[in-house]
Amino acid sequence: MTSSGARLRSLMQSDMVVAPGCYDGITAKLIAAAGHHAAYMTGAGTSASLGYPDFGLATMTEMVDNAARITRTIDIPLICDADTGYGNELNVTRTVREYERKGVAAIHLEDQDFPKKCGHLDDKEIISREAYYSKIQAAVSARESADFVIIARTDSRAVIGFDEAIARCNGALAAGADVAFFEAAQTLDELRQVPQLVNGPCLLNVVHKGKTPKVELADAKAMGYKMAILPSLLYRNVLGACEQILAELATGKMPTPIGDMTPHEGFRKFGADEWDALRTAFRDADGRDAAE
Amino acid sequence: MTKAEAMREKFKSMIAGDAMIVAPGCYDGLTATLISQAGFDCAYMTGAGTSIAKGYPDFGLMTMTEMVANADTIANAANCPVIADADTGYGNELNVTRTIHEYERAGITGIHLEDQGFPKKCGHLDDKEIVPLDEYVAKIRAAVAARRDPNFQIIARTDSRAVLGFEEAVRRGNAALEAGADIVFVEAPQTICELKAVPQQINGPCLFNYVEGGKTPEIDLATAAGMGFKITILPGFLLRQAILSCEEILGELKSTGEPPNRYKHVSVREMFNRFGANEWDKLRVDAGSPKQAAE
Repeated sequence: MTSSGARLRSLMQSDMVVAPGCYDGITAKLIAAAGHHAAYMTGAGTSASLGYPDFGLATMTEMVDNAARITRTIDIPLICDADTGYGNELNVTRTVREYERKGVAAIHLEDQDFPKKCGHLDDKEIISREAYYSKIQAAVSARESADFVIIARTDSRAVIGFDEAIARCNGALAAGADVAFFEAAQTLDELRQVPQLVNGPCLLNVVHKGKTPKVELADAKAMGYKMAILPSLLYRNVLGACEQILAELATGKMPTPIGDMTPHEGFRKFGADEWDALRTAFRDADGRDAAE
Repeated sequence: MTKAEAMREKFKSMIAGDAMIVAPGCYDGLTATLISQAGFDCAYMTGAGTSIAKGYPDFGLMTMTEMVANADTIANAANCPVIADADTGYGNELNVTRTIHEYERAGITGIHLEDQGFPKKCGHLDDKEIVPLDEYVAKIRAAVAARRDPNFQIIARTDSRAVLGFEEAVRRGNAALEAGADIVFVEAPQTICELKAVPQQINGPCLFNYVEGGKTPEIDLATAAGMGFKITILPGFLLRQAILSCEEILGELKSTGEPPNRYKHVSVREMFNRFGANEWDKLRVDAGSPKQAAE
């Protein structure tokens, strides 16, 4: 079977890849069932599902475990948040190997200092260009298959400025990265300029109420972006939906869930029919199972 | 009282006593069991051994999650207090807070936290990077504030000797005590004279790290006790033994083509007995398992 990295690369050839964010088996399955061709594993969502804010508290092991849970749940290519690579070039090397072993298609690595912060929060600390490029080089040489996609993310816009961030995108591509991820462009004009000034495929991070102005996906595609991730789309929806129904419950009346379905209808979204088939698939026709 | 709480109380009374605590290093459930069965009052979980047991050198490649998972296994296997390596606390004060929560939940008696930059290096290797004193003290304070059991031991390790000198190492040890640390671990003193000075100049209990082939002169444990150290850890003690004895017996198998006779007198059952087979069997009987009769 073609590797997930190779499939992601061929998707990028034909159209802008749109990857909604998931953080567990439920959200991953729903993304695939809705017909999306790629999914994104959000670090913020992974952190939240562990009970922590996105403050660099999730370990590489926890992130990779979550990625493994997601890749075994869905067949579409998974793009993963790999933060800073969790340390120096040695840690980056291990991080790439761990994600690749779990069948992940792509990871993004950023130039924040360890432990990192969410890209749309303030007071980020940025490492030097040299340290960043050597991490990218370490990542590129650590991958087993050349199909595994290395996405270089720079958080330098907020700290140093637009020109520096563009220079870092191009520097990272020169160091061997496959895709550039300009984090938190601040105006529509900046958003437009990124794909024009960066010498390779660009990723757009769609964050609701973040630092970047709202843009339609069709417009992002027209601007020349090759990939759009929507990390918090489902995560925030889940927060809102759960809070809403819990508030209804608190009023004392029994609420009707938005997902108004029988238990079995729910299980069918998670492969109940396929698992049910296994119950009898290996038995004799003469009804050995009838004895049970 | 939980086992973990009892072990912490036991440790506190031991460290307050006259005898120096001797804690050989373990890196899995097997070595932890052997240490407590040999009658030691304390075991130490080595980060180097944990790393190596997972196939990595001690170059800061272990995640906090991996360290804590190992600590959990060891605290469960050992019938004695367990002190664990917690490196730098795996990041800033927030990560230190989580690290303390996780080790405490794993049933560990105490951990040591050091003033190296992240990711850390083995204390007896060169080119260590040291964080400023105020950053270090903030981490110790965060650790002290994070513990839920006040008997959970915070051991402040400083790696500053090699980088900033002996005086700075002593200064950091004392600053850590003021910040609430329970024990001080001055890593890699370079002479006998420095070793002697540690318990004299530090205003609290001191830990001696016994490392074969490291930067610190090798002294007898009786000498360390005489100097006033309250606890000695021997991180690589069993690890080296395991590596060398495995290499030796593998070499014999390879060269002669036959397994050596040396350990053949130990039966499979005897080996299992070392790891609680009788206690588990008793559970089977007590539970009235019908399988028991058939076996």
